[in-house]
This record gives sequence, structure tokens and C-alpha cells, in this order.
Amino acid sequence: MPNIVALVKMVPDLVEELEINDSGTGLDRDWLRVIINEFDNHAVEQAIIIKERDGGEVTVIAPEAEGVEDMLFTTAAKGADRMVKLSHDDFEEGVNNHALARAFAEKAKEYQPDLILTGVQANDDLDGPVGPLVAEYLGMPYLGYICGVKIEDGKALVCKEYPGGLTAQMEVSLPAVLGIQAGEEPPRYVAISKVRQMMKTAEIDEHETDELDPDGGIAVNRMYLPEDAGRAEMIEGDEDEIAAKLIEIFKEVGAL
Amino acid sequence: MPERTNYWGIPHTWGEPETFVYIIMFLSAAIMLFRFYKRASLWWQIGRPEARWDKIPQRLWLVVKYAIVQTRSLRQRYPGIMHAAIAWSFFVFFLGTALATVHDHFFEFLHGNILIVYKFTLDIFTIIFLIGAGMAIYRRYQEKPEKLTYDEGFTRTLVLITVIVLTGLFTESLRLAAERSGISAWSPAGHLLAQLWISTGATEKALTNWHLGAWIIHLLTVAFTLITLPVSTLLHALTAPLNIFFSKLDRPIGALAPTATTEDDEPIFASKLSDLTWKQLLDADACTECGRCQDACPAFNAGTPLSPKQLMLSLRESFVHNGTKPVLTGEAIPEDVLWACTTCGACVQECPVLVEHIDTIVDLRRYLVIEGMVDAELQTALMNLGRYGNSFGKSERMRARWSKGMEPKIKNANKEAVEYLWFVGDYASYSPTLTEITKQTAEVFQKVGLDFGIMYKGENHAGNDVRRVGEEGLFEMLAEKNMKAMSKADYQAIITTDPHSYNTLKNEYPANGGQPVLHYTELLDQLIASGALRFSKKLDYKVTYHDPCYLGRYNGVYDAPRRIIEATGCEIVEMPRNRDCALCCGAGGGRIWMEEGEIEERPSESRIREAVELGGVTDFIVACPKDVTMYRDAVKTVGAEEKIIVKDLIELVYEAL
Repeated sequence: MPNIVALVKMVPDLVEELEINDSGTGLDRDWLRVIINEFDNHAVEQAIIIKERDGGEVTVIAPEAEGVEDMLFTTAAKGADRMVKLSHDDFEEGVNNHALARAFAEKAKEYQPDLILTGVQANDDLDGPVGPLVAEYLGMPYLGYICGVKIEDGKALVCKEYPGGLTAQMEVSLPAVLGIQAGEEPPRYVAISKVRQMMKTAEIDEHETDELDPDGGIAVNRMYLPEDAGRAEMIEGDEDEIAAKLIEIFKEVGAL
Repeated sequence: MPERTNYWGIPHTWGEPETFVYIIMFLSAAIMLFRFYKRASLWWQIGRPEARWDKIPQRLWLVVKYAIVQTRSLRQRYPGIMHAAIAWSFFVFFLGTALATVHDHFFEFLHGNILIVYKFTLDIFTIIFLIGAGMAIYRRYQEKPEKLTYDEGFTRTLVLITVIVLTGLFTESLRLAAERSGISAWSPAGHLLAQLWISTGATEKALTNWHLGAWIIHLLTVAFTLITLPVSTLLHALTAPLNIFFSKLDRPIGALAPTATTEDDEPIFASKLSDLTWKQLLDADACTECGRCQDACPAFNAGTPLSPKQLMLSLRESFVHNGTKPVLTGEAIPEDVLWACTTCGACVQECPVLVEHIDTIVDLRRYLVIEGMVDAELQTALMNLGRYGNSFGKSERMRARWSKGMEPKIKNANKEAVEYLWFVGDYASYSPTLTEITKQTAEVFQKVGLDFGIMYKGENHAGNDVRRVGEEGLFEMLAEKNMKAMSKADYQAIITTDPHSYNTLKNEYPANGGQPVLHYTELLDQLIASGALRFSKKLDYKVTYHDPCYLGRYNGVYDAPRRIIEATGCEIVEMPRNRDCALCCGAGGGRIWMEEGEIEERPSESRIREAVELGGVTDFIVACPKDVTMYRDAVKTVGAEEKIIVKDLIELVYEAL
């Protein structure tokens, strides 16, 4: 029965307007509202689907963030067996993916996982390095853009998405790290009363991360909102006027 | 002086005829009661306990009103009169027989004028019965409305009761023919039929023999009917009064019960028969299959798989086969049936025997929700409600964005005391197409000098429809958040824009200091009456008014909105389905968040067609933000843009100010 670890993080919730911090190198975290990374949510769902099908245990590990307990209790209500919160003073301010991946790897290996699932990317790092980095630190193979996982004879049979609507089936020996693009089923709904029940009965293991080592990560020089290019011109008037104006413009730029 | 002759013409060959009659009747009644007990014991053997023994006088009154006078049944003229004719006749026959027994054994009083009145009454009810039976025959075999069940059990019952009455009439008329009594004309039906027997030229002896035959058939048919009653469609004669007696009195129709719990305080999410209460099973057994619920049901008429009648019959079918068919959700009752309900309350409103369909539907939905069996759109809405307190998935900080730029700025009721706490609701707050109407509402309040405020981001979705979706935990959470915010505010009364919020705040939230909850139409109506709200313009539109389910059927607010419309100078033309018969727009009970599924005609479209058919009505007036959304869509999809405009009532008020 597979031992599954899901690595989850909270990312900026886009219902709120994002603001850049004073130094202009990142988001202003004071006003930031965070939500579970959508891809990680799919990873949790996939982990629970595997558990329901093949048995095993699911451990969810997440770094400290506002609302992370609620998120973890939600995963427990869905069927996760163990919830681990990584704590360190720097998590709330945001850490780079190398530091995060090291922290994840250090904790995940304690559970001797057969399978580590995490979101293939997150809205605050679209290059998706957490999965590969964890695999690297633990010396496991990594496959990304996964949309389905089956465990067979100590191996994982996975579906991997390719551009253009292609899907490949691959086999990977365990233990392995998988970057989940989408679970076999969309994340399930979990009733509030179940989550509240978990809040009363389940416990979150809190693990103090000793050191956050950001080595190897990138440094952001400047973060900014897209600037108005001011190139668009709205043509107003009735159909004839617009058509006449268009012809004029086409002639001007030499298209006619 | 006319005297009653007991057992006239019945030979005493084998002893006193009354001995036989009593033995047969007692045996039949005993068999009936035993069989009924066997059936009824399923309710409490399978169903969970539920206390419904309180308020006995009130319960008995309900029995008089609904089971004896049958006011609900009489809401529909033809079937109402038909059923009353049959049922009341049997009540009278039963009473007549009982009085005869009293006369025979306890107190002789049936002589002289009393006897004449007695005979006349019984005879008149024979005629009334025959009219009722004739109506039933016409309806069942000629008219054949779709809502009825065409099962031979109904035919059997109709034949049996008709045979009982006809053989009774034959017995009487043959006696009259043989007796040639002077008072026979006081039994007009018997008297007329007696003339027929006399015209055959039969001897008195022959008539007396025929009389004996008719009497025996009469007696045996009554006995047979009694014995078979618990397994026939006449079962409702016992279950309906019981169901009415045990109907819910502990809460208003607008309040659902919280999820039931076991003795160990574990919640019960109903998926199988044994999760329901005995009363919910009795509901199913009390259903008379009259089909009025189905006729009134917006979901059924839209072509969805839900028929409230079929729901009850599936439940009945399931518990008659308990052990082999105990699972309800997804098996005896498919999921799409449960999700199709708009909780509009029309079925409950129409049911002559007070079946509580919606409570059972919500109980079963609670199971589907706890199992995560919700469609993707509903899931998104619920997750948004859980996270942001609104179904739109927008930040709570944006809740009062519609009020931006209003002068003076609307008071924050969480920061300063106000007379009226305005609970704006989700749709009025967030729906981009409704913000103009919400602003107008605020301006009307300002113009009449109302001291009011809103809770800005402190307000959450009130939870009415969250609860009706079956997400009880989320409802509780939303209610707690709102209660917390409201407890910080200083106000005298709550006003709501949305009838759904209105319903849950008024009927389901714990009474918070006892401040009244008003729908804005109730408030405006009060302000017009007190002279605080006066109109400067007189509008002369010909309009129709649509009663929102949660304002009308659930809370009885029918007149306030109509009085306001009339005060603006508009003329109201009623749609055929008005007031408590109003058709639901299709959005309630969380339907507005769900995938539509296969549908033939949306309820909202049927409603707009109904309004257009009135002819000459230019404005379709509503008093619910969801209605504005639903009906503006429907006007477009039926292509009635040129004919009718959907307006919120506040728009009329705003215009006439």
C-alpha cells in the first residue's frame, strides 16, 4: 500500500487586487490573501483517489501561511490521514522555491514515501520548480504535467499531458515525485460540517523547519504591473464612418 | 307518528339479524385494524422517532379543517366538490349508522319529525354521493387529467363505494315499495326508485325478497371494503387524517429543521429509509396520488425528472419493500430528482393532506452534499460562499462597491447606530446588472428620510438557499458570521431586498433581540400608510405582479407590494397563477447555482408567456433581485422584448417619487 505525500502551498488569491511592495521586488504581503494553489489541490485529490483505490496513507505537508490550518483540515475532511505544517519565521514573507523544496524534502523523507505529489506549478511561480527540486534533493525521478496515476506492481502508471491535446502513458518506478496538472477527478466538494468536525478531532503536526536555504534560487530585480502601452485607438461613429476611417488608416499605413 | 323499524324485512330464521351484522362488522373492523396496524407499524419500525404529540387541540383543529371540512381539497373546484361529495356523504352515512345504533341500544329518538329529518338527510346525501361518483367517473375515464394515477386500485375503490351506496339505496327503495309508507316522499331518491319497483308489478313478497338480497350485498360489500381498506386506495381515509394530525407545528413553513442527530450527537445524513422519521414515511403513505403537487411543481412542468407526487410514491414503494429496497438517494430516488427542486413550496401549499415534500428533499440533499455529490457549478458556488461569503466569488470588500459615489455615503451599521439595518443580499450587492436597482433602493430610502445603514463587508450571504441545497454546515457558518456582525450593530429593525434573505433571517436565525425583519415592500407599504412616503408622479402603466415564493407562499406577504404598486398609480392585472398559486421563477433552493440540466421550458419562460398572454400589460413587476435576473433572461429567450419589461417594484417607486 503506497505511502503518499502531497506537498501543498498557499498562493495569492486573485480575487483581491495585488499590490507591489515598497521595494518593488515582490507582492505586498501585508494585504495579501492566500488560497491553496489550484494545482496542489489537484495533487491532494489525486493522492486521495489513489488511497481510495489502492489503500495507503496520505500525508499533506504545507508551509505556514494564513489560513493554512483550515486548508489542512479540509484535506483531512477529504480523506488525508496526516497533516503537517512547516513553520519558520520567514515562510509568511515568502521564500524562494529552492528553500521551500529543501524544507519539503527534509520533512517528506521522514515518511518514506512511495509517491510524492505536488502541483506542477503555482500562480506565483509559473516555471514549476518545486517538484523537480524535491526530486533532486531526494534522488527520485520526476514527471510533470501528470493527469492520472495508477499504482501497479511497485510502479506508477501515469498519464502525462502534452501540448495539442496529446496524452502519453508512462511508467515510473517508485519512489517518485509527480507534478500534477490535474487529478483524475476535479477536487471534490467537502461539506463545511465535515471540515468543522475535523477541526474538533484531527490534529496538525507542527514541524519547525530549522533552516531555510535559498541557495540556487533567483533574485527578482523588479516586479511591476503591466504598463499601459497607450497604442490602442478607439474608432467611434456609425458603421459608415468607422469603415471610412478604417480605409483611411489602411491607406496611411500602406496596407491599401 | 312515523317509527323506525329495525331490520325491516330481514328474516329471523337464524336468529336476530343484528347479531350477524355486529359479528360481521366487528370481525371486518378487527381485520381492518389489524392489517392497518401491520402497515402503520412499518412507520415506526423503519423510521426514526420524532415527537409530534404536542399541541393536541391545535392538531385536532387541523383534522377538522383539512380532513373533515377538506379546505385544501376544495381549493380546486371540480375535484374539490367531487371529493367532498363522496367523503361528506360517507361521513353522513357513518354518522347515520352510528345514530341508528344509538337508537337501537341506548336512546330511542328516531321517531316523528326527527326520523323524517334523519331519513331526508341520509337520502339527500345519497344523491350528493351519486353526483360525486358521477363526477369521479367522468374525470377518471373521460377527462383523464395527466396528474392522476391510472391504477386499477382506484377503479376498484370507486366500484366498491358506489356499490355500497347503490345497494343501500336499493334496500331503502325496495322497502319503501313494499311498505308504501306515507312518509316515503321524505326519502326522495328512495321514493323515486320505489316507483320503478312498484311499476314492475312485483308482489310485496317479491319486493321483500329482493330487498333481502340488496341488504345482504350491501352488508357484505361494506365488510369487504373494510377488510381490504388497508391495502386499497382507501387507505388514505386513515393515513390522511393521521398525517394532518401529525403535521409540523413546531416551526413556520419557512424554517427547516437542522440536521437531525443520533443520541450520541452524530449528525444523520439521510440516504436510506431508516434515516427518515416515521412522519416522513407516513407522508408517503398519506399521499392520495391526486397529483396537485405535480401540477403546481415548476420543476415538473419544466420537464425535469422531479414530480413531488412520484417522489412520495417512490418513498412508499421503497418502504413497502423495505429490506430489499432501503436505499433512497441515487436508487429509489435518483439524484437529479432531488436537485431539480426549487423549494418553491407550491407542492406543500397544494397538498390536501399536508405532505411535507421539501423537508424530505432537503434531508436527502444533505446526504448528497456530505458525500460531495454536487455538480461543478454548485460546488463552485458553495466554495465561494464558504470562502468569501458570497456566491459570486468576489472579495467581501467589494460587497458594497455598488454604493461607491453615493452622496451622502451610506452609514456603516457596524460603526454607528441606525434605525434600520439594511441586509442587502448577494445578488443585489454583486450582480452587475442589479447595482442600478440597488442604488435606486438606497436613493428611495434616502429620499424618504430613512435612518438606515448597511454592514458593508460584515454582511455575508444569509444562507437561505445554502440551507435548502443541503449544506447545513455552511448555512450555520454563514448565519454565525451574520449574527456576529449584527450583534455589533445597533438597530431597531432589519430590512431586506431579497425575499430569500428575508425568509431565513425572519424564520431561521435565532431571534436577535427580537427586532422585526421587514421586506422592503412591507416597509414602503408602512411608510405610504403613515404618509411618510408620498408620490409626486402618477404612473399609468398596466402592470402585472409576480409573487416571489419566499415572500408570498412562505411568508404571506401578498398585499403590501400590491398596495405600493397601486399607490404609484399603476393598474395591476393579475396573472392566472397569482398569490399563493404563483409560479416559481426556477431560481430558488440553490437552483440558480446549479447546472440547468435537460429542460423543456424554463419556469421563468412559462411565466413570461403567462404575463404576455394577459394582453396589454407593459411591465412585469417583481420584488426579488433573483427574479429580475431570471425574468430579464426569460424575456429575451422567449423574444418578448417588444411586449414586456421586467422591473423591480422599487423602480416604479423611484420613478413615481
